Amino acid sequence: MQSILAKLNKTQGVRGSMVVNRDGIVVAADFSVDLDETGIGAVASSILAALEGAVKRIKIGKLKRFVITGNENKVAMVDTGPTILLVILDREANMGLLNVELNEAVAEVAANAKM
Amino acid sequence: MPLFDFLTNWRTSSKIKSLEAQLRGRPTPQIYLQLADAYKQAGNSHKAAQILKLGASRFPSAPEISRRQAEAEKIERENEKRRLKERIQTHPNQILYARLAELYKADGDIDRTVEIAEAGIKAFPRYGGTYMVLGQVFIDRQDWDKACSYLEKSVELDKYNYMALKLLAQVYMQLGRPADAARRLEDILYFAPGDEAILELLKKAKEAAGESIEPAAKVSSAESSVFPDPRKASASGQRKTITLGRLADQQAGSPTAARDRALNEGVVVIRQVEGVDGVILVDQYGLVVAADLDESIDEGLAGALITNVYRTASGNAAQLGVGVFEEGLIEGETGNVHLAQVGEMILAVFANRKVKMGLLEKSIRDFAMSVIES
Repeated sequence: MQSILAKLNKTQGVRGSMVVNRDGIVVAADFSVDLDETGIGAVASSILAALEGAVKRIKIGKLKRFVITGNENKVAMVDTGPTILLVILDREANMGLLNVELNEAVAEVAANAKM
Repeated sequence: MPLFDFLTNWRTSSKIKSLEAQLRGRPTPQIYLQLADAYKQAGNSHKAAQILKLGASRFPSAPEISRRQAEAEKIERENEKRRLKERIQTHPNQILYARLAELYKADGDIDRTVEIAEAGIKAFPRYGGTYMVLGQVFIDRQDWDKACSYLEKSVELDKYNYMALKLLAQVYMQLGRPADAARRLEDILYFAPGDEAILELLKKAKEAAGESIEPAAKVSSAESSVFPDPRKASASGQRKTITLGRLADQQAGSPTAARDRALNEGVVVIRQVEGVDGVILVDQYGLVVAADLDESIDEGLAGALITNVYRTASGNAAQLGVGVFEEGLIEGETGNVHLAQVGEMILAVFANRKVKMGLLEKSIRDFAMSVIES
């Protein structure tokens, strides 16, 4: 898992990433900056749990990812099935350009979680 | 610009860049304080206050940053009060009164809070947010009967107001009416499914009422969608457009009516972008300000769902390391929902896979700019 994150973090615009399980427990993390990983994991899992309920009623199909842009950075929380991949990005990062690397990492995380 | 001013500005700007870089590496309370000072020196006191707020949320036990943040917030509140009073004079609307009353409440000036809220109710009697502020005042005074009366009125006018429903449930508990509290909490779960805080309160209310802890049938039935199948909705072609004007405690031709028309027109413009299925603009209490949706959609419930998602995302943005929430994008298998903070309101755009993101983002930006400038 750690090597998947390290590879993803080499992508331009990616500041760090982590994988948390559905209960918010950190499975793996790779951040170059000092962050409260445990707190972030718990928050990400509770946000996605709340979103899944809302998304069912908004009728846009199964939730794939939620991207939040703030005045400092951007965060993408991606549903990989059994886990959540959380990626912190530069505020100006272009999600369209990052999609290839992100989707690749999601597939690898999902495969790894099944093992 | 004189050379001395130029050099001072250049130094401040370099200092800001350097401190921001340090903050991205290993943040400390001291760096937050220095960065806030640098922004203040650069004449951007709003940004300075924002930095202090972020610092305080990241280091809640650092006394100096908490003290400075409280000071900065007070100054921000004074500026905001001045702005709101001016807007009430020129372009009054119900949200302005509720917001101004809340600011006085935050400063502990309860007499002025009540005065402003009562003036708001007199001018706009059908707006639930202002009754909620009065409900909060009487909760603080532990006058549960009066709090109950204002909060019941607030909920009657706006059945999807998360905060009013939650406060009312808490008041019912104080009044020894746990079964009524449980009903109000179940109402919240209808548009905020899985909300852990509410589930916890519901458990306590049901225990106190001697009821089964199992969720009520109403909560289960909430699994049904408020949105129709997008393909069927498009085929029906039925749309409805609503605006703040429907609350209509205002005269046609007034500045308020003109602003509402502008909001409505902006919403309609976004709806015209290819691939957009619906647009809704809600205030901070979840009340729908303007919308252009298919006829079959319950806009009140859609507004409540969006407000709840926004509340969850913006409330946790600082902890996630992104700073202050600006926008969000929920991506599903068949469509997306774009959320954007527009002044004190939240804009949500429902789009399908055909949407061209660049075009949509531009139209959202144009709308946000026009609202802020107005």
